[in-house]
Amino acid sequence: MIETEIADSLPAPSFAPGMPVEIGKIDRELKKLWEVSEGAMTRASLINLAVYSEAPESLSANTQLISRITQDHACRAIVIAANPSAPKDESQAWISAHCHVGRAGSKQICSEQLSFRLEGSSAKFLPSIVFSHLDSDLPFYLWWQSEFHDPMDPQLWAWVDRLIYDSQPWKDFDSQMRSIETAQAEAKQRIVLCDLNWTRLVHIRLALAQFFDHPAAHHHFDEIDCVQIDFAPGFKSTAVLLIGWLAAQLKWRLEKTRDDDALRFIDSSNRIITFELSEKSGEPIGRMVIRSGEITFSVSHATGSDLLEVVQQKVNPGGQQRCGGFGERRVEARRTP
Amino acid sequence: MSQASDQTNLNPLREGITARTVPDPCTVVIFGATGDLTHRKLIPALYNIAVDGELPPGVTVVGFARRPKTDEEFRKELEEAARKYSRQEVREDLWKTFADSIFYHQSEFADPAGYKSLAERLDKIDQERRTRGNRLFYFAASPEQFEPILKHLKEAGLNKARDGSWARVVVEKPFGKDLASAQELNRVVRNAFAEEQTYRIDHFLGKETAQNILVLRFANAIFEPLWNTRYIDHVQITAAETLGVEGRAGYYEGAGALRDMVQNHLLQLLCLVAMEPPTDLSADSIRDEKVKVVRSLRRMNAEEVARDAVRGQYEKGAINGKPVPGYREEEKVNPNSTTETYAALRVLVDNWRWADVPFYVRVGKRLPKSGTEISVHFKKAPMVLFNKESVALDQNVLVIRIQPDEGISLRMQAKMPGTSFRIEPVKMDFHYGTSFGKASPEAYERLLLDAMSGDATLFARRDEVEHAWRFVDTIEEAWAAKKNAPPLCHYPAGSWGPEEADDLLARDGRAWRRL
Repeated sequence: MIETEIADSLPAPSFAPGMPVEIGKIDRELKKLWEVSEGAMTRASLINLAVYSEAPESLSANTQLISRITQDHACRAIVIAANPSAPKDESQAWISAHCHVGRAGSKQICSEQLSFRLEGSSAKFLPSIVFSHLDSDLPFYLWWQSEFHDPMDPQLWAWVDRLIYDSQPWKDFDSQMRSIETAQAEAKQRIVLCDLNWTRLVHIRLALAQFFDHPAAHHHFDEIDCVQIDFAPGFKSTAVLLIGWLAAQLKWRLEKTRDDDALRFIDSSNRIITFELSEKSGEPIGRMVIRSGEITFSVSHATGSDLLEVVQQKVNPGGQQRCGGFGERRVEARRTP
Repeated sequence: MSQASDQTNLNPLREGITARTVPDPCTVVIFGATGDLTHRKLIPALYNIAVDGELPPGVTVVGFARRPKTDEEFRKELEEAARKYSRQEVREDLWKTFADSIFYHQSEFADPAGYKSLAERLDKIDQERRTRGNRLFYFAASPEQFEPILKHLKEAGLNKARDGSWARVVVEKPFGKDLASAQELNRVVRNAFAEEQTYRIDHFLGKETAQNILVLRFANAIFEPLWNTRYIDHVQITAAETLGVEGRAGYYEGAGALRDMVQNHLLQLLCLVAMEPPTDLSADSIRDEKVKVVRSLRRMNAEEVARDAVRGQYEKGAINGKPVPGYREEEKVNPNSTTETYAALRVLVDNWRWADVPFYVRVGKRLPKSGTEISVHFKKAPMVLFNKESVALDQNVLVIRIQPDEGISLRMQAKMPGTSFRIEPVKMDFHYGTSFGKASPEAYERLLLDAMSGDATLFARRDEVEHAWRFVDTIEEAWAAKKNAPPLCHYPAGSWGPEEADDLLARDGRAWRRL
């Protein structure tokens, strides 16, 4: 089944996983698919992107994601919906293509999607299913949308070039990181790790960095005494990553306090930097304010927009007393998310 | 290393997240702000840089032009232009923020008071918008205005930056019309700005595929060992366009195809193909290698020009099935004009790598198809083992398409399915647009960012320009000679140029590649 990018005025495309095929005949069916559409369409691929999820209804949601991703990144997508605890062993496969009109003209650029539903013990065959359907020579990106199980099949890591995951919903951070470390140890090559929880901070980090590009602004680093971050419910770990980054880049040391839950840092001059975190609905990181002497540097999401607002201003006299002057509700950061 | 990159190294918050040198906040002063270049290229480019989040906060645009206009009128006019020419959709909220950084300064180019008030205005902008005294003067006016503008900038002290700041000037082509005028222009510029403050823009170098020539050659081990006289038979560089002079007759009549395209764009491409690996990627390392190539171009005497250079002019014909007039019938063109609209050259690069490898360069208007490409034709396989009935196998050809449909293709031989050894050429094709869905930035986006960052790699240096004119001048002089000048050939619009250009290759046993 070939889905084409359609105009906004037309009904929205469905995100069904495509044409059902026997798992052993996928290559043959793919070949047929391209024979039918030869001439008007060009198949393109720069990476193999396998997406693994154990969430119900993930096939449709991930098909929709792949449709968007392939507009900018041509790939062979392998979408897997697994349910290892299903009582019955079953596996199904589908093939489809996402086509978009190319920038150069009328020819459509298409990326293939292979979809699998693996139930019961069929889920154990994940590595063989993935590896038998990779485009040769292209890098292999594995997007693991579930928690890592212990033990993981070491075969799986054998050829992964980039492992994409999201630490934001993890309940047990330590055990998940151990699984990733094991993956790195078992891999035949260097795996590049890509935590989406970290990636989603990039715009905030860039916005913050621009305040300090000029050497004349660098003295502010030595005068920072307070940082406040507003985070959305469930995104405390994202805020902690942001704190960790700032502390690491500015060479702040974590201060041991009597209260094990408190989070304070000390800079090279033994000055204390306090962090205040507020939980507020909205963007994962809704606002970050750094106070340095009389100046505050603020990055926040503009209301009703996808833009960031950056503001540098003098602190009003009343606001200088304590860091808490910026926020509404004070929540202390925990050491481990 | 530029001042900007020093700053980046010192900002610990940039570590690991910024791949390119961060531009400094600055004020971009555009001379000729109401002209076509500003509307079509500069403002859309600056807007796109802003949308991509790469424009530093505080960057301010001041349009300097003669017509009376308010800031608001100027912004409105630029918004319309951006909506028409921007590669990304103009968003209301983003445009508003961007437009707040645009101002209009009305003055005659020759009025000293206009520069004095400009200086005051720039100081005010520095305070209000934290542009830190950094100024980028962009010359989008006609070349005859350069001298008065530069003179008055100098008188107003705007050519000198305060401590810790910078002042740079971006000069658009044409960089003169011959060596003497280029040297004069360089002298005029140098009177106000030092060479390291001067950025001569050649937008071909800002194109993704032009930059990719260096990556293709020096990041792939398979090409460089073959990139020499031993394996390469010849190289063709073609810039074809279906358009005629399109309202540029005033300029074009005095320039012609050789000055308009070959002296700058095509020789720049030739340099990228022919240069030696630079010691590093710094601006001067790359430009040093390019200069060596231009200096190695074999100069032609009058006899050689008659043999190795062809000039042509289009006559009436048809483009895409529509009749079009001949060049001499175009508006504002002298009915007896001898300006060439087509030029083809056989160029030799006198160094070890390229000994006896001709570079065939052609450029033309009113050709059947628009496209700029470089094709590298490898020598034929030494023995015909398989296809005994055929005279010879085709050559391997590596094609680098600069525009449109940027990409790279490689032609090679393959066995046809069947019981006999029948061999046919096949093509491996890489299209930027297919593989990378994201649109490449426009050449001006890259070049403006580079100028703001102090990176002159993709800008032409004084000696490059002057050596290129030295080479071109000998051809122009032979064509302009009163006695025994080679003839101006004619070709019908919609054809691939004059027959004499085909003969140029045919006598070497070669033919132009069909685009």
